[in-house]
Amino acid sequence: MKRLRLVCVAVATIVVAACGSTGGSSGTSTNSYAGKVIKLGAILSITGAGSVYGPQSQNGMMLAVKQINASGGINGATIDLTVKDDASDKAQSAQVAQTMIQADQDLALLGPTLSNSAVAVHPLAESLKTPILAVSTTGINIVPDCNFPDTTPCKYVFRDSLGEQTAIPDNIQSYANDAHPKTGVLLVAQDDKFSSDGGTIVQNTVGQYGISLLKTIKFNKAEADLSPYVTQAVQLKPDVIFITSLGGIPAKIMTEARKQGWQGQFLGGNGFNTATVSAQAGAAGKGARSASAWYIGNTFPSNAGFVSAYKAEYSKDPDQFAAQGYTGIEILADAAKRANLTFTDLAGDRDKLRAAMETVNIQSPLGPFQFTSSHDVNQPVWVIAMDGNGGFTLVHEIKGS
Amino acid sequence: MDQQLLNAIFIGSIYALFAVGYTLVFGVLDILNLAHSAVFMLGAAVTYSLVMNHGQSFWVACILGIAVSGFMGLVIEHVCLRPLRRRQAPPIAALISTIGLALIIVAAIEQGQPGQFFAWLWVDGPNSVAFPSGTIPNPTWHVGDLTLEASKVAIIPISIVLMLVLGYGIRYTQVGRGLRAVAENPRAARLMGLDVDRMISLTLVISSALGGLAGILFGVALGDISPYIGRDNVEVRGLAVIVLGGMGSIPGAVVGGYLLGLIEVAALVTLGSNARGGVAFAALFLMLILRPQGLFGAQLRERI
Repeated sequence: MKRLRLVCVAVATIVVAACGSTGGSSGTSTNSYAGKVIKLGAILSITGAGSVYGPQSQNGMMLAVKQINASGGINGATIDLTVKDDASDKAQSAQVAQTMIQADQDLALLGPTLSNSAVAVHPLAESLKTPILAVSTTGINIVPDCNFPDTTPCKYVFRDSLGEQTAIPDNIQSYANDAHPKTGVLLVAQDDKFSSDGGTIVQNTVGQYGISLLKTIKFNKAEADLSPYVTQAVQLKPDVIFITSLGGIPAKIMTEARKQGWQGQFLGGNGFNTATVSAQAGAAGKGARSASAWYIGNTFPSNAGFVSAYKAEYSKDPDQFAAQGYTGIEILADAAKRANLTFTDLAGDRDKLRAAMETVNIQSPLGPFQFTSSHDVNQPVWVIAMDGNGGFTLVHEIKGS
Repeated sequence: MDQQLLNAIFIGSIYALFAVGYTLVFGVLDILNLAHSAVFMLGAAVTYSLVMNHGQSFWVACILGIAVSGFMGLVIEHVCLRPLRRRQAPPIAALISTIGLALIIVAAIEQGQPGQFFAWLWVDGPNSVAFPSGTIPNPTWHVGDLTLEASKVAIIPISIVLMLVLGYGIRYTQVGRGLRAVAENPRAARLMGLDVDRMISLTLVISSALGGLAGILFGVALGDISPYIGRDNVEVRGLAVIVLGGMGSIPGAVVGGYLLGLIEVAALVTLGSNARGGVAFAALFLMLILRPQGLFGAQLRERI
């Protein structure tokens, strides 16, 4: 009996010791984080054409950083996020990225705000082997083929923003199913990649749903006066006007078209999905539909918590760009937590982070979030409509794959 | 084409009003005042800010907006022009100093965000804003296929009346004669007992007030007020207008303004949207080759 007890004690000791040693080893990995700083850099358009999006992304990111640092950081390491303005300018964007990667030695980057700048920044980050997470770029050939037309997949480029290649066709399909429009006119800004890509996607999609595109009207964003373009569109009396453009321009087009007495449906892309645009359009925008990566009214906890924290912090509603910025930090934090960073070997840490990002699986304000094998977004799509008062209502949910 | 013709006249009126201010200064001083586009923007921004952030009525805000713009004329004169004139600097120096002032004004507005130093002036930073519908009286009528919007229709008589008044004033009043004398030969004017500096200040005040008014009309009618409206929309076009019309000629600026509006819209309708800007500047280029003095450019040396 005594011997049995001795064996039991021995076994128990070994088990406890084993547990202790596992605990110990994970403790070592955690401890290497304690007191360290994880440097992240965000390249955002705080001024210029992208300025209706950049500041929102920045707010979302800052909120996430504040929350994570306040609740003990990443295994004890704090996040140090630097945001720099690229003035919506491609060349400046690339310069900022280069500084962040080489001089500031940031672990990973976020941004840039505009697809137009991403075509310069992403290949740069790829060549310097630094993970970069796009939080608002939705044009084509952003991920994985950042070196387009070279089709070698980019290893370091990710995005958490819903591509226009998904959003615009989903939106057109959902409206075609609801209302069966016959004719459309496309108003497209031709002087930036995001807008002109959107236009190409509209042109390639409408036919599948029996909509004939009467005319494509191109304009430049800096045009003094959009009314002649709108007059051209309205005089064709289409069922739908598609708008692919940035900033306040969709709102101006809507206002002008309604003034000229046109009553049809506006359909657009990510350019619609900010409260600023909805507010500027006001009553003229009511019912204008787009597919969004995010919907403010979703009540699942990861969104409800984000929305209330954002309102408390900034005394205003978040928008899609804020949600994507916030999610961007959550993604990097989750990956950094699992990456077993050394904090001594920057190149090695960047690689570890990149590998960990591929297996991210979190509950975010956008819904359940993972990356596809090509680093693009795998999440639900929300078809939303402007409510005429600066907000949006949910029309349909399209589930992620 | 009907609605398009109206569109052309609306935008043409704004070009004309803006260019009249440009050309007035050029006529008197032989200097291109490149701060004019910043004053255009400032007029719109101040008016918007007074209505939206300081609770003023639209009409009061308009008057103050024009007053602030006129005052900027004095600033331009005292900061950018007079010190250089005293030193007999070449006109290019004045051109550069006005560009500098324009950059400063735009940058100041750009920095205007809640909680920052310039918040009293502007709170929307670099963003484009518009008067929310309902804050300004703007009824819209539909006549046949035409859409007539009060804020746009009003531009036409306002511009024409102001330009006629200005034209009359310069031709037939004592002050107008003084301005023309300064334009003709400042030294002779001074010897005749005219206060040349005062005449120049007056020119800049009138010019800037007109520029500010053009900015207000632009912001109201087109629903676009941002730090960049002057730079993006009227700065280069204003130059095109005064070259078309003849440098320094007020009737030329008026006709040139409407002409540019028409050319732009006609290009859009007939050649497609890509052609709009290109055709307008092709016309400018042709004018420079065929008739370098512009439509009303006086070969006889009478100014403004």
